[in-house]
Amino acid sequence: MKILSRRGFLKTGITGAAGVALSPAVLRASTQDNIIYRTLGKTGMKVPVISFGVMRSDNQSLCKAAYDKGIRLFDTANGYQNGNNETMLGNLFKEYPRNSFYLATKVKAAGVDREGKPSSETTAEDFLSKFNTSLSRLQMDYVDILYVHDISNPEYLEYKPILNAVKKLKKDGKVKFIGFSTHRNEASVIDAASSMEDWDVILTSYNFQQAYRKELDAAVKKASAAGIGIVAMKTLAGGGFLDKEKTRPINTTAAIKWVLSNPDIHTTIPGMTAFDQLDLNVKLLTDITLTEQERKDILIAGAQPGLFCSGCRECIPACPAKLPVPDLMRAYMYAYGYSDTSQAYSLLSELGTGSDPCKNCTGGCSVKCSRNFNVREKINDISRLVNVPADFLA
Amino acid sequence: MKSKILTFLLISVFPALTTAQDIVFPALSGFRIKTSYPVYTPDNLWDFINGAADTYLSYGFVDLHVAEYKKLKDVIKLELYRHSDNINAFGVYSSERSPSFTFRELGSQGYVADGAINFFKGNYYVKIKTYSKKAKTLQAAELLASRVEAMLEGGNGMPAMLSKFPGEGRKLNEETYINENVLGHSFLSNAFKALYEVGPDNFSIFIIQCSSPEAGTKTVNTYVASTGIDPVSSGEGKYVLSDGYNGTIFLAGKDDRIVIISGLAKDQADLADKYASEILE
Repeated sequence: MKILSRRGFLKTGITGAAGVALSPAVLRASTQDNIIYRTLGKTGMKVPVISFGVMRSDNQSLCKAAYDKGIRLFDTANGYQNGNNETMLGNLFKEYPRNSFYLATKVKAAGVDREGKPSSETTAEDFLSKFNTSLSRLQMDYVDILYVHDISNPEYLEYKPILNAVKKLKKDGKVKFIGFSTHRNEASVIDAASSMEDWDVILTSYNFQQAYRKELDAAVKKASAAGIGIVAMKTLAGGGFLDKEKTRPINTTAAIKWVLSNPDIHTTIPGMTAFDQLDLNVKLLTDITLTEQERKDILIAGAQPGLFCSGCRECIPACPAKLPVPDLMRAYMYAYGYSDTSQAYSLLSELGTGSDPCKNCTGGCSVKCSRNFNVREKINDISRLVNVPADFLA
Repeated sequence: MKSKILTFLLISVFPALTTAQDIVFPALSGFRIKTSYPVYTPDNLWDFINGAADTYLSYGFVDLHVAEYKKLKDVIKLELYRHSDNINAFGVYSSERSPSFTFRELGSQGYVADGAINFFKGNYYVKIKTYSKKAKTLQAAELLASRVEAMLEGGNGMPAMLSKFPGEGRKLNEETYINENVLGHSFLSNAFKALYEVGPDNFSIFIIQCSSPEAGTKTVNTYVASTGIDPVSSGEGKYVLSDGYNGTIFLAGKDDRIVIISGLAKDQADLADKYASEILE
């Protein structure tokens, strides 16, 4: 580019192709026709099948555009961007009539252990304090849905301090409906919740790559039949690509349509940070029918393993040698994903599994990886690294 | 000989060798260290921080080491997030920062808020949290922060680009780094952003350092063309655009650097020019 002069900005005076930004009052009227709505269970909330997972967006204009195009449910959380996410939404929506949109947020209780069980640190006081902070950031008198963030153990569903806290918030009118989010052990948690009368909405991982399809679908069906609203998240199975280098994209439209082909899924909350992502997803507001090509794309994508271990740990009991398979896969990731052989070597040294951990399994590998990895091949591949002198890796 | 051949073959498979710091959690007198958490990777970070993981992943997250320091009922939790580079570590740190926090000289920068001590240094974003209100435990958390800061590799400076933002009207501790989809546009990436308040005017300035002057020109032209007009070959490199989603945009470029200003009105070109020129000249 040439060096600038002091003439200042060239005034184009020409409206861009997308038009001049209009005021919210005018735009509220301009929703799309033929939007597909589903009712969120017994809540009675009619929501478009596409909602907005705002957890990454720091751009008010994107949320505004989503609203203008007909999206009505916006999902955030107390912990997203350390509160900046809720603050952004609060600053945006204070300009809108409160009954023109739905706002869902989540609060994560303290002290829940790795098994998903509450502890003595999991108090109503802490939970309510965080919720009040959320309400203040959002600049609202109430939220439409409050999720207890991340329930992965059915025991937690009946944990009185938190359950009573959210029920009181509902009774006090600060929350219209209560729910929980889950992305581990979903089938058993959802199944257990279906037998309770307390939960109005469930936000669950749901995508074409999940290995436990049958159990999850059965649980979702049961919950939906019990009148619980079901919202799907992680619908792209990890960001839209099958590989870390982002050279193997998935058909995101097909992935979301696949989710919505289940009538028990009432809406989805894809995360969006760009207008072209929004435009792609907005088309789904009026058309969620899978084409033949899209069906094939999903079948193919579903059969592809991603690059790295998902940490499901199903391999551990299946390995006769009791190898620390997830950790070996992590070493593989350091080496092949980040070209960090030093880190991989360090981990392999720590694991002490040697250069040929699978040598005693002469009849083939009994581990069936939920991501269809050839586990033995990857272990053999990475384990050779222990033969490389450490000096070559530093 | 066989070993040398194997070494050569293995090294040739991994062309870009990097080193990584081994994590050894520092001791804290009176506290027992519990490290029962796995090392989290991009594939299972969701298990630890749920949907917040997407933000970290977008900033080149590599791995996370977690430890708990326990003394009777008091717990201090330490989370060491490693990112691909210092700018991405700043990116995730700044996305969670608020000007209302109490800032400390920790690493490149840190803050204390509601029992949390967060800072970034080198490629690391460090988060320390305790729910205890006891003064001694809070002091222990601060001591832990200083010990972690001392053990981490990397420099203590803020990203150099931040110094290019003019000082007048700049809102401190609100600068951020956005590595993709800047202003919601997929063709804009790797921007530092600062917020300004000048009299009654509130606006944002974005600085993008492109890889080359050609890349800079291409990005400017793409943005101009996205508003439905042809890039004008005025040689001036400055435009006022009507971005259908973001309103009035002042766009200026010189060599490999681009400045974008949003939040001002069309008749405030002089104000925009003042700031753009200071950054670009």
